Amino acid sequence: MRLPFSIPDHDRRLIPDGRLAGIMPWIIAIMLFLTALSAATAIRLGYSVQANSSGLVRQATVQLLEPDPAARATDQKRIAAWLERFPGVSAVRAVPESEARQLLEPWIGSAVEDAGIPVPALIDIAFASPPDNAQLRALRIQLVRQTSNARVDTHSSWIAPLLSFLRTILWIALSVLLLLLVATAATVALSVRAALNTHRSTIEIMHMMGSTDLQVARLFQRRIALDSLFGGGLGLSAAILVLVLVGQRFSALGSGLLAGESFPIIGWLLLALIPLAVTGLAMLMARWTVLSALKRML
Amino acid sequence: MQSVAEFDNVGLRYGTDAETLSDISFKLFPGSFYFLTGPSGAGKTSLLKLLYLAHRPSRGAIHMFGQDIVTMPRARLPGFRRRIGVVFQDFRLVPHLSAFDNIALPLRIAGIAERDLLGPVGEMLSWIGLTERADARPATLSGGEQQRVAIARAVIGRPELLVADEPTGNVDPDMAVRLLQLFAALNRLGTTVVVATHDIHLLQEIEGAQMVRLDKGRLSDPTGSLKYPPRPLVLRS
Repeated sequence: MRLPFSIPDHDRRLIPDGRLAGIMPWIIAIMLFLTALSAATAIRLGYSVQANSSGLVRQATVQLLEPDPAARATDQKRIAAWLERFPGVSAVRAVPESEARQLLEPWIGSAVEDAGIPVPALIDIAFASPPDNAQLRALRIQLVRQTSNARVDTHSSWIAPLLSFLRTILWIALSVLLLLLVATAATVALSVRAALNTHRSTIEIMHMMGSTDLQVARLFQRRIALDSLFGGGLGLSAAILVLVLVGQRFSALGSGLLAGESFPIIGWLLLALIPLAVTGLAMLMARWTVLSALKRML
Repeated sequence: MQSVAEFDNVGLRYGTDAETLSDISFKLFPGSFYFLTGPSGAGKTSLLKLLYLAHRPSRGAIHMFGQDIVTMPRARLPGFRRRIGVVFQDFRLVPHLSAFDNIALPLRIAGIAERDLLGPVGEMLSWIGLTERADARPATLSGGEQQRVAIARAVIGRPELLVADEPTGNVDPDMAVRLLQLFAALNRLGTTVVVATHDIHLLQEIEGAQMVRLDKGRLSDPTGSLKYPPRPLVLRS
């Protein structure tokens, strides 16, 4: 397949490449580095928002505040069995007491084990779909009929502000991404105009020999494409390095709030497409700039 | 007979200045050889620019190869420019291309395959005596060598109209005669040749050549010894 920037050697010599010597590839590398980071942020946040929206908001925890350990254990089993039959509930898990104590340990220390402090019995439940207020109210009313010392904590109540915050950051990241693409396009246009001025005499000679506007535009498209691919590859490599390092640090936090698994594969694929998209954008800008400039010549 | 170029009451003005060319009317016929003479500032280069489609006139009509180029969409002009060979006064070689690549440029622009242009470009280099310097860039060539490359570039595509602006200004007399012989050979093959020059001695070198004289932007009557004119230069009233 012949790529649009694959042109014969003799045509390449008409507009000598500036590549590593020129500033354009390095500017594109920086722009693409920032673009890739913005895109990664947007992808990561979008993934987290989606995961939390579909996961945590479907979950709730039932607390049984019974001081007597034996009664608490009995109630936990009974209520868990009752919850499994409750309409809309898809999964029920009675949290072992040892696990509940571990959850409290960061706040009240190991005394929680030794001092025999009573901890509530916990039952995690998951709804088949995010529950609405009526469904939760019905659950609370019927649960109190089963045992008066039960409490229902929905995850959606505390996850909602976080999701709202994540969505705001997501939109900011997308806006930055868009601005960077606009800035890249403007940079390409300026670069092509500078190159047009530099090579004006060559273009005029070609023009006088019957070269068409598209023939001239193709020369610049190719030059910009090579600059973009080189700069894009460099910028993306740097961005990937940063993302991997940040990912490692982030994993070490052990936070589940940002759906802390690895960066999604689709995200890596989208990042890999960015240099190609920027190259395509740069070629379009180069073509448009050259054709606009040549129209002013006879 | 269809003319190669027909000017009818043509005027050319740069910006808001006075007209550089005024009331130019003539026809150039296929296979003819014309010398364009006149003092410096007479408008020779401007007239040539109209001939090689670098400008459109400010007024009047120009037909090239039977087509009205004044109103012609610019997208169609490249096709007409490929039928015209131009030797610029300042050579205008592409500085980062070798002599070979400069000469091959019109053929490559016209889409000629590499295998088909190696022979003609090689022959042309041989004819102008620069075979050994095929890879040399213009900056390393003397003025005369650059001029020979510029002429080779103009004639390599066997143009229907060859326009040359002082083509022998930087070469020695022998080379000037050789170059004119090249022009004459092309002319015999059917190319219409227009050479702008100050050198009145050159006029004697081409049998049958006609002279067009410009003075202060206006065309004078043809003068000089027009030996064996093949066809008369037609001045329009």
